Amino acid sequence: MATDSRRKVDTARGAKTGRSPWKEQARSYFDHHRKVSRDSARRLWKTPVGTGMTWTVMGVALALPVALLLLLTSLQGVSAGWESSARVTAYLQLEVPLEDARALVDEIRTDSRISDIELVDREQALAEFRANSGLEDALDYLEENPLPHTLLITPDERSRSATGVEALVTFVRGLEGVERVQVDLGWLQRLNAMTDLLARAVWALAILLAAAVILVIGNTVRLAIESRRDEILVAKLVGGTDAFVRRPFLYTGAWYGLGGGVVAWILLQLSLWWLSGPIERLAGLYRSDFALVGLGLDGVLALIIVAMLLGWLGAWVAVKRHLDDIEPGDIAGG
Amino acid sequence: MIEFRQVTKRYDSDHTALAQVNFSLNRGELAFLTGHSGAGKSTLLKLIMVMERPSAGEVVVGGQLLNRLPRRQIPYIRRHIGVVFQNHQLLFDRTVFDNVAMPLEVMGASPRDIGRRVRAALDKVGLLNKEKMNPMQLSGGEQQRVGIARAVVNKPPVLLADEPTGNLDPELSADIMNLFTRFSQVGVTVLIATHDIGLVNEMDRRTLALDHGRLIGGGSSPLQGAPGGVSGH
Repeated sequence: MATDSRRKVDTARGAKTGRSPWKEQARSYFDHHRKVSRDSARRLWKTPVGTGMTWTVMGVALALPVALLLLLTSLQGVSAGWESSARVTAYLQLEVPLEDARALVDEIRTDSRISDIELVDREQALAEFRANSGLEDALDYLEENPLPHTLLITPDERSRSATGVEALVTFVRGLEGVERVQVDLGWLQRLNAMTDLLARAVWALAILLAAAVILVIGNTVRLAIESRRDEILVAKLVGGTDAFVRRPFLYTGAWYGLGGGVVAWILLQLSLWWLSGPIERLAGLYRSDFALVGLGLDGVLALIIVAMLLGWLGAWVAVKRHLDDIEPGDIAGG
Repeated sequence: MIEFRQVTKRYDSDHTALAQVNFSLNRGELAFLTGHSGAGKSTLLKLIMVMERPSAGEVVVGGQLLNRLPRRQIPYIRRHIGVVFQNHQLLFDRTVFDNVAMPLEVMGASPRDIGRRVRAALDKVGLLNKEKMNPMQLSGGEQQRVGIARAVVNKPPVLLADEPTGNLDPELSADIMNLFTRFSQVGVTVLIATHDIGLVNEMDRRTLALDHGRLIGGGSSPLQGAPGGVSGH
């Protein structure tokens, strides 16, 4: 905290009057921090409804962007998985015989950009199609196999970028006997574009909500400052430094943040639990292993620390704006 | 201990609260500050506590010139000045002990130190047995004495009092004055603002008399023979 360094100056000066040694000064400094933090927590505890409401507001405001970020991370995981399994499919001309196709496979295999190549011959393809499509009867009407030999090419890891795949496609297309090359990266690019867009939107939302959290805490702390006006006046009168007067309110903000972070985490866990069933079913329908990833321990800690920092920052804003206004100038009447 | 040199305080262009005030108080001196309301008593006290800054002239407390003291240094000056208010400014959300402990807490004293010194201060004002009570449960005179205990708990070299006997009956007032006298005997410079002329006469002490912002009596220090106050009436 920024106040810490200033406080050190404090205690050093305090030593002028109290002749306690340095160690004792440091201890009483930490004692004071512990006392103030405990006192601030107790004050929040005394008004459970108001505190709970502030926590909930903060929790909702924090849970929303974090949930979206989690969703985003999960989506990016999906697209990353697909990217690595990107395959180029080359359909040969119908009249190419199987031997020629095998020769072609051997030729392509020598290219360094290819990690794996598989030949699906026409008969095999027809059998698979017959088995999977449920169009057996219709196929029987056909006089000959309409399917060509097919090459399934897996690019080498280094060539899995968009340009790499494109170069590979051009190369394969130029080979003799290749009728058509297909690589279905379009949807992947669209998904990537969408997640990029979503990421920006989520970050914008996160920033807005963080600002909202700061304002909410700022306002709550402003009320706390008003309600402790007398105490602030007396503290200033008897020689309390700004850091001393601010400290309880900064702790109050941090405690609000802690509670808000915990509420956000609970909300996230609840919605994750609530959504996990339907998401599994949906992912199952798409044959995807997509799953919403929850917050790990690191994530929870980060969430709570960020929440506390936001609370502290909100308190700081309020303190900066309102504490300086409370000056004991009008206290001495007459 | 306290010295005013040609101090003028103007609030607006036309309202002059203090005009060219000169005086100095020595260590262990007890003096009264009198004058009708609006004569500038509060302004003078506020200048000593750095709640206000002079428009002209110099205010020196404990050898330190307060005029251009940076804002963040003000708390350290206030730690050397105990103040007693007419309305005592006690906090009713904590015990007598915690009220008196505030100046020590602000300084970062250790809990052991705080306990010892708070009890010593409460003992001096005769309220040792009420340390755990809420100030609200005390009588007016007792509350005032708690305020005095708080003002002296960190043994400040300067003690200011603003109408300390304002709401009290004569007997209690005499009690309080006795306390102040005792403090001055151990070297504390005490300045008491009051318009209780009877009390002032009874005590027969140096009296700084203000009238419309001008010092009309008691300006020169009896010990130092400092330049006399403005004598023009």
